[in-house]
Amino acid sequence: MSLLLVGVNHRTAPVEVRERLSVLESQLADITKSLHAQPGVDGASVVSTCNRVEAIVSASTEDVIRLLVEWLADRGGTSADDLEKHVYILRHGDVVKHLFRVASGLDSMIVGEPQIHGQVRAAFAASQELGTLDPLLQQLFEQTMRVAKRVRTDTGIGEHAVSVPYAAVELAKKIFGNLRGLTVLLLGAGEMAELTAEHLSSHDVKHVFVANRSHERAVELAGRFRGEAIHFAAAESHLATCDIVVASTAAPHHVITAEHVDRAFDLRKNRNLFLIDLSVPRNIDPAVARIEGAYLYNVDDLQHVVDANRGQRQQRADAAEDLVLREVDAFRKRLVAQDAVPTILELQQRLEAIRSAELEACLRKLGPITTEQRAAIEMLSTRMINKILHYPILQLKEAADEPQERESLRRTIRKIFGLR
Amino acid sequence: MTLTINAALYIALGLYAGGTLLALLSLWSRERRLQTGGLWLMIAGFVSHTIWIGSVCVRTGHPPITNLPEASSFVAWTVFAVEIGLFIRYRVHAASFFVYPLVLLLLTITALVHEPFTKMDPQLRSRVFIGHLLFSTLGVAALMIGIAFTVLAYLQDRALKEKRPGRMWEWIPSLDICKRVSYRALAIGFPIYTIGLIAGVLWSYRTTAGLMDLRVKSIGAVVAWVLFAILLQSYIAGSFRGRRTLLVSAGAFVAALVAMLGISHV
Repeated sequence: MSLLLVGVNHRTAPVEVRERLSVLESQLADITKSLHAQPGVDGASVVSTCNRVEAIVSASTEDVIRLLVEWLADRGGTSADDLEKHVYILRHGDVVKHLFRVASGLDSMIVGEPQIHGQVRAAFAASQELGTLDPLLQQLFEQTMRVAKRVRTDTGIGEHAVSVPYAAVELAKKIFGNLRGLTVLLLGAGEMAELTAEHLSSHDVKHVFVANRSHERAVELAGRFRGEAIHFAAAESHLATCDIVVASTAAPHHVITAEHVDRAFDLRKNRNLFLIDLSVPRNIDPAVARIEGAYLYNVDDLQHVVDANRGQRQQRADAAEDLVLREVDAFRKRLVAQDAVPTILELQQRLEAIRSAELEACLRKLGPITTEQRAAIEMLSTRMINKILHYPILQLKEAADEPQERESLRRTIRKIFGLR
Repeated sequence: MTLTINAALYIALGLYAGGTLLALLSLWSRERRLQTGGLWLMIAGFVSHTIWIGSVCVRTGHPPITNLPEASSFVAWTVFAVEIGLFIRYRVHAASFFVYPLVLLLLTITALVHEPFTKMDPQLRSRVFIGHLLFSTLGVAALMIGIAFTVLAYLQDRALKEKRPGRMWEWIPSLDICKRVSYRALAIGFPIYTIGLIAGVLWSYRTTAGLMDLRVKSIGAVVAWVLFAILLQSYIAGSFRGRRTLLVSAGAFVAALVAMLGISHV
């Protein structure tokens, strides 16, 4: 049985190719079924994200590869020859390694990004529900999920934010723990502030107030975050009740001063206040940072956090690669050993039959002997058989990754020992 | 103390030492596996520690808090039990850098101070006395937890203010959690410790006709109580972030340790 993978990703294909091949969530079931229906395919699954589309199959021969490329090309409305320069084709152990790396976020555009784990899990769940997984693919996906989880927990690869909005969310978590129930004040409607607010509101913050010079724009933005638009002049009065302030206005001066924050703290009962200033020139007076309980980060501060995190994430990625390699080797050995089980059992039964028959013949010739003598002869014959079998069994268990090579070894051993 | 009786104690000490070492190494290597390994060693040590405390209870017929080694061991046991509870609730890794060495230090005192197991003088056996021992010990354990989380809150506050995440950054929980745990430990521990002290004064009055003497342990206990109160007040007033709180914490820790080192009730 061969494991095969044909796919395109952000490194091998431009976005024009990837978008033609991409699979919507609603299409996943039909496309997986269509892949499974291809001749020669025993098990099938499709992994699709914005950066990759991969067809993973188990098949009795590698002849299906051309078929898979054609199937993929057909989906993208192109020819197999045109698509060929963008696709990668992986076999056996390389498929295992690739899938482990993909699910762990090691093959992603942003190394360690967490979404990919969920996307591979979705592909696994969809294929499982459709019944398109054979035992080999079932084992592969189960192990992939385990490895990805281990990589995340053991190396902490996804823990460091590598974008400014995400870094702001991480810092907010360092201050408040859970963001649920917090109130956010969005001052201005800059692109980065919008993104940051989007990240924050996805963490179940209780309320988002939006203040902008153009009230219409504030209303529009508030609608997106299920928040409330307030007049720009009223923003200061909200400092006392908000936990996070994101400032990104075009104002050339400080919109929030130390006096504003000082006054707010008189009413805040010592609750912390996180201020994110994403504007240049700065909208929040740097003197605010000196107030106890106020944590002020400007765009450079956040960028420094991101830069430091990138370095750390790379270190974690190196450790994750080692872990993946160890897991690939363990999985390969397990598969090979499983594959060899029927031959090993037959081999043992065959030699045991020979041993029993020869032992009986020998005992008949010897005539009456004591129980101890019989036990000694039996032990001798059993030990001899075990020693003879030791190396053939070891070879079968540790055979190569290549199915053809394994099959050849199995055939040779079966021939030598006269197995059918 | 024979080796047989104390086998569980020495096993606990060895496991705590191993756990502390792994936890401290994880501070440098930032390896999560080391932290996890350290935690499991500490839990194994805690089991052995519990067995030892149980055996002392059975042997002497009273709670194991009547002399320095017993009290020190009981405080260590309580502190670690609370730490485990907090770890389960908040996944606080950083507390291990303070709590594990503290537990190790306290149990080392137990192992080094060779005092024989002695049955308590029947005259001393009273509810007031047992209450004094139990409440004071639990109060000290709560104070230790409160101090550990005060230090964490301070470190987190500085790191966020100065925008320089240090080695502890990823192990320290959020500022809110540090503050909440610390405040709760102090708010719960302070009345318990106060009851313990009042019970001690009452018992002293009953047995010696004096409210209290001026031995080091008594002075240490009162100083710890005052600093405990100041620390709690700083949380209520919201002034816990300053360096002053850190100094008060250090003072309270030393005073509580001094009070404990003077324990001898048998």
